[in-house]
Amino acid sequence: MAMRAHTSPMARRCMIGAAVVALTAATGCGGGDSGDDAAADASCKPSSGKVTLQYWSWVPGMQEAVDLWNGQNPDVQVKLKTTPAGNAGTYQNMSNALKADKAPDLGQIEYDSLASFRLKGGLRDIAQCPGVSEAQEKFVDWTRSQVDFGAGGEDGIWAVPQDTGPMAMFYRKDVFDKLGIEAPTTWEEYAAAAREVKQDGKYITHFSQTDPNWFTGLLWQNQATMFERDGDAWKVTVDRPESRQVADYWQKLIDDELVATDLQGFSPALYKAWNSGEVVTWVSAAWGYSTIRDNAKSTEGKWAVAPMPQWDAGDQRAGNWGGSTTAVLSGTEHPAEAAEFALWLNTDPEALEILNREGGLYPAAKAGLDLPALKQPVDFYGKQKIFDVFAQASADVDTDFTWGPTMTDTYRFLSDGTAGAVGGEGTLGDVLKQTQSQSVDSLRKQSLDVAD
Amino acid sequence: MTSTAAPPSTRRRRPRRALAPYAFLAPFLIPFVLFTLVPVGYAFWQSLHKTERVGGTFGSTRPVFAGFEQYADVVREPFFADSVIRVGLFALVQIPVMLLFALALALLLDSAVARLKRFFRLVYFVPYGIPGVVAALMWAFLYDPRLSPVVDLFRSAGVQVDLLGSDAILFSIGNVVTWTYTGYNMLILYAALQAVPSDIGEAARVDGAGNWTIALRIKLPLIRPALVLTGVFSIIGTFQLFTEPQVFRSISTSVTSTYTPNLAAYSLASGDNYSEAAALSVLLAAVTFLLSFAFLHFTSRRQG
Repeated sequence: MAMRAHTSPMARRCMIGAAVVALTAATGCGGGDSGDDAAADASCKPSSGKVTLQYWSWVPGMQEAVDLWNGQNPDVQVKLKTTPAGNAGTYQNMSNALKADKAPDLGQIEYDSLASFRLKGGLRDIAQCPGVSEAQEKFVDWTRSQVDFGAGGEDGIWAVPQDTGPMAMFYRKDVFDKLGIEAPTTWEEYAAAAREVKQDGKYITHFSQTDPNWFTGLLWQNQATMFERDGDAWKVTVDRPESRQVADYWQKLIDDELVATDLQGFSPALYKAWNSGEVVTWVSAAWGYSTIRDNAKSTEGKWAVAPMPQWDAGDQRAGNWGGSTTAVLSGTEHPAEAAEFALWLNTDPEALEILNREGGLYPAAKAGLDLPALKQPVDFYGKQKIFDVFAQASADVDTDFTWGPTMTDTYRFLSDGTAGAVGGEGTLGDVLKQTQSQSVDSLRKQSLDVAD
Repeated sequence: MTSTAAPPSTRRRRPRRALAPYAFLAPFLIPFVLFTLVPVGYAFWQSLHKTERVGGTFGSTRPVFAGFEQYADVVREPFFADSVIRVGLFALVQIPVMLLFALALALLLDSAVARLKRFFRLVYFVPYGIPGVVAALMWAFLYDPRLSPVVDLFRSAGVQVDLLGSDAILFSIGNVVTWTYTGYNMLILYAALQAVPSDIGEAARVDGAGNWTIALRIKLPLIRPALVLTGVFSIIGTFQLFTEPQVFRSISTSVTSTYTPNLAAYSLASGDNYSEAAALSVLLAAVTFLLSFAFLHFTSRRQG
């Protein structure tokens, strides 16, 4: 049974409205699957004459790729504005700019924020733009379901995948060798390794309260999607058996003091612990290779990468942490050109090479996985070809994972709850329960229907 | 028309004279209206509305009038009472401590025996010149059990301290705020002390008053208005506490995204819930205003 909030009066008003304007299609109440944004002109014809596109991104080295495009396309010039990272203020600015009708034509948006931007009417459906639907197969499977919201293109295509963060396990091979343990292939073995490592005075990993999206990556691996779309309503599935399994597992590690809970992600204290060898694994995304390389310099040659530990021996499942898209924003007058640039940027081998070399992006395009740089042995990791592991992980990421439209809130609830649990108030299981009900509230406050 | 022409009747002159004060006030009034009154007015307007969605999940939205619904929502949120009580307790302890320090330093600087006055005045004031985020980060390093030399010292002395635990965190934040603003308040009090005519002190001295007596019986009552002013500033500042808890969120398990009312408003706004954030902000402004007003009223009555 679907429970609906705030809708009955609105639906009634819509029906009256529809009766009054009986013959016009644009009442904004019809169909309902995508409402007004789809009612906007979905056709995507190329503009004539010279076009200038504004583009906001925070990928280091993006200007080099843009210069390459501008040199090759004198009629479609892209002006890049380098911004802070999305959650560091750019999303806020983008929302404000959308409201003020001053938004750029293109913007960088992470997968977990796409739904919230679509909710604000900030994205342009580019399904009809030349080349877009044909290009879909060029991208890793799961990223496609992210940009078409799992509807296989029936419900529009809302962005072009740029990079991904397939997850694997970075571990101190020298420490594992010394202790005579193999790299764990299951989470059970990981916990066993944690106990051995603790005997040696070290922690298997850190458990941070400031990385709710890391924890989400762990949920993703166990097919514990947090939101589902149910017709016009959203279903919140934060608290479910699959996520409980993950939460209970980590709660046990916390209770047994096998993980360092006073080290936050990307903090100087964590880097100190990596350098001193106090923390010996990090289950993280492909882009994490540079985080360790740049911040734990003294451990060069001692790390290796193995696939994420599995819940069931023999499985091949990976989570994803991070990654962005290039989205065409709703205010643009040149959607065809904007989409063309977005496609080029994220599929052209030269552009992919620049973004990987300068920005450290791990490409969403299948062709990108064959970049020479991603086939090389990496010195820091004892000359292991670590990107082979991530290429496999990328193929193992569950395609059904759906982000909710209020992820900022959901992350915040997870983060607050985790801080409490780590500080001794409640368990991670309780955190899931609270986050579930708080997320339902958040959806209702955006006057969205919630199904249960 | 020249100014030496026959003087126009006073009745005609009056409106022109009435414009003059506004011209002088304009440099203050225009920014005040643009950047204080208009935003507060807009926040109030926003707080009376909520989002209505038309056309399904990804349809469009529009604000509809909702009266005081958002206020009712905010007040019902469990974090509301928690965060207001928290900053209230914080104010009760931190403000008196800070103002006592500031007063002591100001009196010391003003006393006849002080040496190197300019140097110390600057030293005391320096923390205020350091941006709040930088100060909070610096203190975060001093509190972090894994990085802090201070915690190391305690540990080597056999004392276990957890400066970031739920029992200590409010004091740790209070310490940062005190460190930052004592010098600022000291300067206001010191300026007031400088305005006290020196002959009053001399007269008292002739009458046999010592340094202590002069400080407590003569100077203190005379700078009372300045003390009240620093008190009001401190109340306003405390209820708007934001930077320190925001920075400590990433190192302490005791600071949540709704730790202070201001932090909660920020969190609500970043979750696109502008209406509720606006309602919370307006409430916060009202509470701050009421407290400042009550404080002023209370202190001036005692004076009279």
